[in-house]
Amino acid sequence: MYFHAGLILAVIAVTFAVAKYFKLSVELSMLLAAIAAGIVHAGGAIPVRHLVEGSFTYLDVCLIFITATFFMNLLKESGGVAFMVRKIVITFHKTRLLCLFFLTVLLLIPGALTGSGAATVLTVGTLVGTVLSYMGISEKRVAAIIFICAAMSAAAPPVNLWAMMAAAGSNMPYVGFFQPLLVLSAIGAFFAMFFLGAKGKNVELEKALKELPEPPEKMNWLRVGIPFAVLIFLIMAGRIWPFSTPTIGLPLMFVLASVSAILLSPKKLQILRIATETIHSLIPLVGIMIVVGILIQVMALSGARGLISLGVVTLPLWVLFSTLFLILPVSEGLLQYAVAPLLGVPLILLFNMKGMNAIIALSAMAVMWPIGDILPPTAVVGRATVMELKFKGHYYKDFLKTALIPMGFVLLVATLFLIFSNELSFLVGG
Amino acid sequence: MTDRNLLIVKLVSLALVAVALVIAGIQFHDHRNYQEEVVKGPGVTQVKKLSDYFEPLKGSINDCNIYIIDSGVPGGTAFLIGSSHPEEPAGNLTAQLFVENAKLAKGRLIVAIRANQSASRVSRPGDAYPLYYTIETPWGEKKFRMGDRWSSPLDSWPDPEVYVNYPSGQLLAYMDVRNFNRTWPGRANGMITEQTNYAFMNVIKEEGVDIFIDLHEAELEYPVISTIVAHQKGADIAGMASMLLTSTEFRIGMEYSPKSLHGLSHREVGDHSDAVSILLEAPEPFLDRVRGITDEKLLLTGQDEFVVMAGKYGLLYEKIDEKGWPIDVRVGRHCSTVLMIFELWGDFNPGKEVVIQQVPRYDEVVQNGTGYYFRDPSKAKTEDIYYE
Amino acid sequence: MAILNSIISVCYYLISAFVVFVLAKSIIKTKNVQDAILYSVMLMPFILRILRIK
Repeated sequence: MYFHAGLILAVIAVTFAVAKYFKLSVELSMLLAAIAAGIVHAGGAIPVRHLVEGSFTYLDVCLIFITATFFMNLLKESGGVAFMVRKIVITFHKTRLLCLFFLTVLLLIPGALTGSGAATVLTVGTLVGTVLSYMGISEKRVAAIIFICAAMSAAAPPVNLWAMMAAAGSNMPYVGFFQPLLVLSAIGAFFAMFFLGAKGKNVELEKALKELPEPPEKMNWLRVGIPFAVLIFLIMAGRIWPFSTPTIGLPLMFVLASVSAILLSPKKLQILRIATETIHSLIPLVGIMIVVGILIQVMALSGARGLISLGVVTLPLWVLFSTLFLILPVSEGLLQYAVAPLLGVPLILLFNMKGMNAIIALSAMAVMWPIGDILPPTAVVGRATVMELKFKGHYYKDFLKTALIPMGFVLLVATLFLIFSNELSFLVGG
Repeated sequence: MTDRNLLIVKLVSLALVAVALVIAGIQFHDHRNYQEEVVKGPGVTQVKKLSDYFEPLKGSINDCNIYIIDSGVPGGTAFLIGSSHPEEPAGNLTAQLFVENAKLAKGRLIVAIRANQSASRVSRPGDAYPLYYTIETPWGEKKFRMGDRWSSPLDSWPDPEVYVNYPSGQLLAYMDVRNFNRTWPGRANGMITEQTNYAFMNVIKEEGVDIFIDLHEAELEYPVISTIVAHQKGADIAGMASMLLTSTEFRIGMEYSPKSLHGLSHREVGDHSDAVSILLEAPEPFLDRVRGITDEKLLLTGQDEFVVMAGKYGLLYEKIDEKGWPIDVRVGRHCSTVLMIFELWGDFNPGKEVVIQQVPRYDEVVQNGTGYYFRDPSKAKTEDIYYE
Repeated sequence: MAILNSIISVCYYLISAFVVFVLAKSIIKTKNVQDAILYSVMLMPFILRILRIK
């Protein structure tokens, strides 16, 4: 059994490495690794049913992802996001700290709703970046701020894909995570914003406004706020009157909130185009989740998942505490969301067995993972950041180096949450 | 790449995906529609449908059979259900063994073999479960569907943002709206799994069930294992059964149903009806996350090196060695525990006895194998064959 | 309530169908060979769900 599972792991690693060497994308490399492992396990046959079945593993999460991003894109296209940014700048341009505070809150929203840091970068990242640069913050610091805030927004509740995937794999309810995730992600985002952006000047209002896109004239807080209110109402209605409201589900809630955004938009939106572009832009992320499901199924089938789980749960806790801050981001950079079910699930199991508070521990891990989205080979959010901001500096020497201190801070705080999970159990809720 | 080559790659990849979809699709379709044969045993006096107790389920996938074994002699009424969680096969195998063998000398026994049909007709993505398992019998192999813990999304889609149990209001994971043992006591206008629980509560109330037993299995990493979980109304019986079984047949624990944990049968059936509710857990290494190769062999033998290793590190709540936890041991445990509980029920409640005969105890099941007790459908009259 | 839940369920099938439509369109349009293969694989769960097979 050990040899067989070890062999499968080796096949996965070698196939993945070879595929990457031949410049295949992470998704296709992972798919090839899964197929190769499946064939070796089945003694030459292709376990077709398992490959197809695995693709269903995160189907519901994918739908949340797609509909939430559609909602955010509608707000962007209707001019709602530009409106909010301009209002923040106009209202708080004389009080720098308040301005930074509200810009951070704005940065946290898209990722919190969609679970994707890339969504933050794509919807509000550029606009906030423009404002920050007119506050005298250097280009590399702006990029670092946008990345950390985007990563923290992905970690922020209600949708944290890593926590959701790891919880689902451990038969653990995704309930009670709201508060710990909010505390951790807010600490990380605000630290990054104020540490990197504290020094500077007040916004050069006129210049900033000139550069920011002009929202339609009729745009106002009601038109921006009502879609959010609809979303919050639907979520709360399901909790407050659960027995007299139908089962709507998060994806349809986002669709209904989107409908309100369309109806309230001051300009006519090309819905089909936006919907098509949304799905198109999400293909890499949805694609990797589908492929990860396939890989996980083959690993479960062949015992490779069990071997990894066994390896993780038999490690002493102190080893984990002293290495997870490195292992989690690096593995995220390598495998993206695949790490949540692969490493997260056995870790949850171990933490449960050791009497730790699994919700706090998983929350801590689920904040460390997105930090790895700046690291190669995938670097999904990091790359999106430099592309969207048209960053001219060096990726590693300027961008990554500038982000290192806030990254370290987030990892330190999350590690402390991990170690003191029981003491922090009062945070569980929501 | 030229446009022509690109087109070829597109067509080939689409063709390969289409072939995969056809191959897998046929397997999924067959699995969802596979019918297990049940031969009506000598004691079965009536077979009803769940929809007889709740009309809206009529014709739905969860309209399962309700087998009634009536002695004709006044006594108590017991209700036994399997496949609350169809990934725990000892439950439905034990329930079917009772249907095909039990005769009653006193009282009535009601049995549902596949309580959550929908969940028994879907396998879990990401976990690589086999679609079927076969049990050796003296007349050949008998094939069963391997199911999931949750009802199929084909019968219940979408899941809520968070599942709120009715009527307790307790928050549970979103997918637990499809978990038959988190949706008790059910809701008439809820999703299909909640409706199914509601129908079962109607069975309990309309048939005047005195004692209700829900058969389960659990991973060894889970603390509630090899035990009898009892509502406070049945704590004395469960405690006594645990003591007697441990001293005579095998070690089994007893736990109180937590009063604040809602949605589970051992809590809600007892709270919302006159019945005493009890849940049995047997060890199933197949469900452990650290398990090795996931296949039918592991499911039926319960032998796994990785799980044994986890035990050596003190990470399990039940012992395991290279002999594993074979299905016959698990079914045998359930048989003896159910029989012991019914015996004690009779002792504690004179006049309400449920006296069961011709059901094997632990030693016999282990010695002869579970399949020994299944009847050959090819030798049965057509009208005696039912389908699950 | 049952009717409402059924309508909602139908909406989910429609959302899935729309995803299939966009993926199919993307396969036709893309000039990137790797993307074409990935998009094809991504179709799998959505198609089987729409067909009510899995």
